[in-house]
Amino acid sequence: MTNGLKLPHEIRAVMNNGLPAVVVTCSADGVPNATIISHVHYVDESHIALSFQFFNKTIRNVRENPHACVSLNDLMGNMQWILDAQYDHSEAEGPIFDEMDMRIEAIASASGMSGIFKLRAADIYRVKSFRSLNHAASNP
Amino acid sequence: MIPGMILKFLQDRGTIAVSGTRDTQRVPHIHYVSGWDVEPDHQTIRCTINRAYLEHLLSSLEDNGQFSLTVEQIGTHETYQLKGNYAGTAEPNAADFAAHQRMKDRFGKAVNLLFGIPEEHCRAYIWPPNVVVRFSVREIFLQTPGPGAGHRVFPPEER
Repeated sequence: MTNGLKLPHEIRAVMNNGLPAVVVTCSADGVPNATIISHVHYVDESHIALSFQFFNKTIRNVRENPHACVSLNDLMGNMQWILDAQYDHSEAEGPIFDEMDMRIEAIASASGMSGIFKLRAADIYRVKSFRSLNHAASNP
Repeated sequence: MIPGMILKFLQDRGTIAVSGTRDTQRVPHIHYVSGWDVEPDHQTIRCTINRAYLEHLLSSLEDNGQFSLTVEQIGTHETYQLKGNYAGTAEPNAADFAAHQRMKDRFGKAVNLLFGIPEEHCRAYIWPPNVVVRFSVREIFLQTPGPGAGHRVFPPEER
């Protein structure tokens, strides 16, 4: 799926299932960076948000080169989603920031890491395309 | 050479792995890894990948050779990212399938413990290998969540 994109309704539940996601970015000098992240936030049918907690390589990379690839895992539903996205802007206050802040604290608390995470901004990405992989197939 | 503590982590504790490449336009791509093993030179890693994740993989590696592998121990969140240069592909051999089985078993146990999802179901989520990507490790970064994330552990950062 590509332009005129609408993320399917069911993907919202996957973003809230508590399972880690993955984001891969690339620096301006062409080195990929793969990171496991705790949470992808649904913004609307064509945007997601990732948390900016530390000034890490992902944060630096998307400010140099806005492309990102994000994957979401739905183990119980046997589905995996791979999203091609582009960094758009950051929000350091407002409803998206507040929702993400609460969610991240809840995840941190549940995983024994309360107090380690502090949200600095919600990084908003436009989803350019996505695909799903059906893990019910024993070997695609 | 990959430090001994990282070799031990890769051999005994890592439960999930994902790799990243980028294409000629510097657009990044995700390729989940079905298993990994370190070659006897302690510098080259073999990553097995299912055909579902082959899109952009070989074309990107042949274009620029950049490959990154992130391995996490589910539960403790201990995570390392290994970056390096493409060293070739191969057909999975018996040792690669054994590495895949070890990873599946650890993944099933860890996810079951943490999320209560049946082990059998979790193991089935890790698809079997179809291709081996070999890469030579250039740098290793700590990615365990927290303020130390991002520090290079190999070669050591100068103080």
